Amino acid sequence: MSTSAATLATKAPTAVERPGSRQQREVTRLLPGWLLTAIAVVLCAAVLIPIVYIFLASLNTDIGVASGEIWPSSWTIDNYVNIWSSVGLANGLTNSLIVAGSTAIVSAAFSIGTAFVLVRYQFRGRRTILRALLGLQSVPGTLIVLPLFVLFSSSATYLGLQVIGTRWGLFITYLTFSLPFSTWVMVTYLRGLPKELEEAARIDGATNLGVLTKIILPLSWPGLIVSAIFAFLPGWNDVLFASVMTRPDTQTAAVALQVFASSSEGGAIPLYGQMMAASLVCAAPVVLIYMFFQKYLVGGLTSGGVK
Amino acid sequence: MRFGKKAVLASIATAAALALSACGGGTSGGSSSGGAVNGAGKTLNVFVGKNTTYPQQQQQWFTDTAAAFKKATGADLKFETFASGNDELTKIQTSAVSGQGPDIYSLGTTFTPTAVATGAFAQLGDDDWKALGGKDKFNQAALGISGPDQNKLYAVPFASRPFVMAYNKELLQAAGIDKPATTWTGLVEQAKKATDASKGQYGMAIAYKDNYDPWKYIWAMSEQSGNKLVDGKTANVNNDAVTKAYQTYFGWLTKDKVVDPASVGWTNSQALANFASGKAAFFLMTSTGSLNTLNGSAIKDKYDYALMPTQLGDSAPSGARPVASILSGDNMGIASYSKNKDLALAFLKMVTDKDQQLSYQKTFGDLPTNSDALSSLSSTPHMAAVTDAAAKSFATPFTGAWADIQLALVNVTVQSIPDLASGNVSDSALSQRLQAAQNSAQQSLNRAK
Amino acid sequence: MSTAPHPAPESRLAARAAGRGPRPAPPPSAGGAETGPADKRRGLSERNRPLWMLIPGGILMLVVIVVPLALGVYISFLDLDQYTIRQWLSAPFIAFANYVEALTQSGILRSVWLSVSYSAIAMAITLPLGVAAAVATQNKFRGRALVRSIFLIPYVLPGFVVATVWRTMFQPSGVITNLLHQLGINPGLYLNGPNTYWVLVFVQIWASWPFIYLLALSGLQGVDHEVHEASALDGALWWTKLRYVIFPYLKGPISLAILIGMLHHINNFTLPFVLFGSPAPDDVAVLPYLTYETGFVSFRFGLSAGMAVVSLVLILIPLFIYLRAVKLDDAETSGGRK
Repeated sequence: MSTSAATLATKAPTAVERPGSRQQREVTRLLPGWLLTAIAVVLCAAVLIPIVYIFLASLNTDIGVASGEIWPSSWTIDNYVNIWSSVGLANGLTNSLIVAGSTAIVSAAFSIGTAFVLVRYQFRGRRTILRALLGLQSVPGTLIVLPLFVLFSSSATYLGLQVIGTRWGLFITYLTFSLPFSTWVMVTYLRGLPKELEEAARIDGATNLGVLTKIILPLSWPGLIVSAIFAFLPGWNDVLFASVMTRPDTQTAAVALQVFASSSEGGAIPLYGQMMAASLVCAAPVVLIYMFFQKYLVGGLTSGGVK
Repeated sequence: MRFGKKAVLASIATAAALALSACGGGTSGGSSSGGAVNGAGKTLNVFVGKNTTYPQQQQQWFTDTAAAFKKATGADLKFETFASGNDELTKIQTSAVSGQGPDIYSLGTTFTPTAVATGAFAQLGDDDWKALGGKDKFNQAALGISGPDQNKLYAVPFASRPFVMAYNKELLQAAGIDKPATTWTGLVEQAKKATDASKGQYGMAIAYKDNYDPWKYIWAMSEQSGNKLVDGKTANVNNDAVTKAYQTYFGWLTKDKVVDPASVGWTNSQALANFASGKAAFFLMTSTGSLNTLNGSAIKDKYDYALMPTQLGDSAPSGARPVASILSGDNMGIASYSKNKDLALAFLKMVTDKDQQLSYQKTFGDLPTNSDALSSLSSTPHMAAVTDAAAKSFATPFTGAWADIQLALVNVTVQSIPDLASGNVSDSALSQRLQAAQNSAQQSLNRAK
Repeated sequence: MSTAPHPAPESRLAARAAGRGPRPAPPPSAGGAETGPADKRRGLSERNRPLWMLIPGGILMLVVIVVPLALGVYISFLDLDQYTIRQWLSAPFIAFANYVEALTQSGILRSVWLSVSYSAIAMAITLPLGVAAAVATQNKFRGRALVRSIFLIPYVLPGFVVATVWRTMFQPSGVITNLLHQLGINPGLYLNGPNTYWVLVFVQIWASWPFIYLLALSGLQGVDHEVHEASALDGALWWTKLRYVIFPYLKGPISLAILIGMLHHINNFTLPFVLFGSPAPDDVAVLPYLTYETGFVSFRFGLSAGMAVVSLVLILIPLFIYLRAVKLDDAETSGGRK
């Protein structure tokens, strides 16, 4: 313990000033190079083999896919053209991005506030709230969907407020379902943050909100990003709620895809090719968004200087 | 108190709307789309199944129909689509509970009794039928599943999709068969002749793993042996007739060996793919939905449709009905909460008139329910057997318990598939599964109202 | 602006060095995590609490989860089916009859067992995978952004897409059967019979390990740089360092991941439903299948709600026992600030 404190005093500043330097990489590396490479390669392969198959299938004919071909015997890109009219993907993707995107942002914003209070303050019912948040995660969606629909639709009858069929009705639903978990992600993250800065700021007279926005927030980006990703995905993937709460013009991509997939299975050969193409097109935005944000995930290491 | 609640709700809503419009980043229309404020005339909402075989054509049909409807009534017509029966049920449920939703639902025939049982659909009286152009304009067989009896009808037949079998003319000829058999025993004999396992060629393509096919065979064979699966409030699922039906159905694979062993994992579309590649002589339990695939396949000039057998063996037992197919297709029901019943009737009259029905058939392949339109079709290629089957279709029992019974019948097959794959479904296992099916069917009938 | 968000390095470091709470100890003195003095920093503030920050989330959860949940519980006391759905509020009140039927006649206990065992097996395998992936990608290397994004793919594919794709591959004439056949392996059917259980486990693992990965990664980010340096200075071997230095930091996020991951598996309806269709083969008749078929195929909404409540209770009990055991909700007793 004393060693580390001493190390800290002498060494940390240099390391911190040169984030990403070779020296720092050596210090923080947790695995020998060969093992690291092996893990990365194996897992990438596990993910990519099916994905490559999906990609090949998306360039194949439906009969080809049905008969178990891996390498298409005849190639076509028609699938990528047809999905825009048959699946209604453009409209769906726009709706999904708006709904899931707003959910992610608002959920991250709410969750940092909630988590801040839950981690830093003592009050009666604190632990109950923390547990209840987890308990809510185990409520099955199928139990909720009917009552929720009734509730929302009666808001049109009694309050004159149309919720069903709108994007923000869906947004509120997803926000609520993602909040408990996002909050927990932030709770575990905030517990790891040192308190000294907050205390210093308080001595300087900062308010609660000031501490949250000026001290906690800048330190919390990695946690916030993870929490936002987790809040984004349920909205992006959900079919249960979206299928009863949307209209054709507010339909999300997942619903559009599912409508397409399940209705293409009656009588004729399923349109595997388009199905696969549409799946890839749907997954692409999320992967791209993540590729962009993932650099903020390195927080704990390189933002050492900010702490 | 009451005001307080409302205020809270309203303020959440406002806050959320603000939040969303702030985050939506300039994308407009987020909340306006659901407003549904319609000052100019009325709007009729119609809920139909999505047709992905002909997506563009369906869109076109929506547009054309809406235009024609606007011209005829001055009202707007809006279509919504659903993917599967389950989606639709959820919609009906939620709409029925909340009293808002589409005015007209397209209802699959076997689903109609369940939908009607919810009470969400308006009964059609004599005046209503008059407004539709009279009951006489419909193919009378098609009316068989519009309600529990002739005088209590809830749904308007819109399209008909009877089940037939497809056969490969070339394979039949090679096996020395001049025309498809009309009894099940005859069919098995023909299938045996057409089977050449060494070439991967089999007499029949059967979809054992399909979630909808199996019960149709069982129902048909049971009817053909004079056994009614549902008789009033009694389920007759565990008896000799039904056992025999399952044994025949499984026997094609285990005993007669006229079916590709891989078919234990096939859904209907995979069986179709197999038939379309020319590896099976008969493909059972198909409809005009397969036209598209078959016409684009290697056997496009070599196939035709025929009636499925309407009799078990050479002589029919007493009480047997010569069923060729379940009564299959789409009905349209008017929601009982609809405030636009007149418009709904006008719409239904329009789409069940002869010309509309014929043009619908031309585009989508579904048969007309309009009897004039139907009789004008029998000369079209591949259509003779199908129109014949439309006339020889029989309605499945009109009870709210039917969905459960269907499920129980399919479940017998699903649980037997591992046995089937190993080559033998033992009598004891079968009777045990049939007893379970009988119990659940009877239980469900007991609850029926 | 008297609040300095970036205090001068010296004072910051001094504060750190002095005020550090007990942290996971370096290798030699393993397991001594709980021994720190209860200094003043440990206590949570009770003054000036901004409890209003809890309100927006609280109201949302009340309206969207708690009230519908209460309605759902109420429905479970009704004889609600397709015959009574339209006037559902006046459906006959039958008290606990649905519960009795659920427990005695529906095979729910077997379903609970299937659900719990499958989700536990899947979790036991995803956990090391996810942690390994996080550890492997926490250091910069060329192409890391790409690898990290690739890792995420299974998680961002909608559940029914994952299921549809795997079903296509597992079907009798599909690629997997063909490939194994060429290798001389012929294990029979994948989408029917006893293999279904393992197919479900397999696909669930494929789809959900990135979830663990993401949480573990965020946990790793919380490891202070000094910890790395300290253990480097001590010359700790990489696995001792992992075991005694890094993993204690992951305890919080990982316990959370186990919990939430298991719940996700247990409540996952789409995956088995799309993979195996309805009715379910007996070997994969997991809970959501049962409630779904009861509610949406047999239209016994009341019974289905009863089953959902029973399963909820059966899941909540172990959940709270688990919460007690890992002290997830109590930062003060769980070893340092983690």
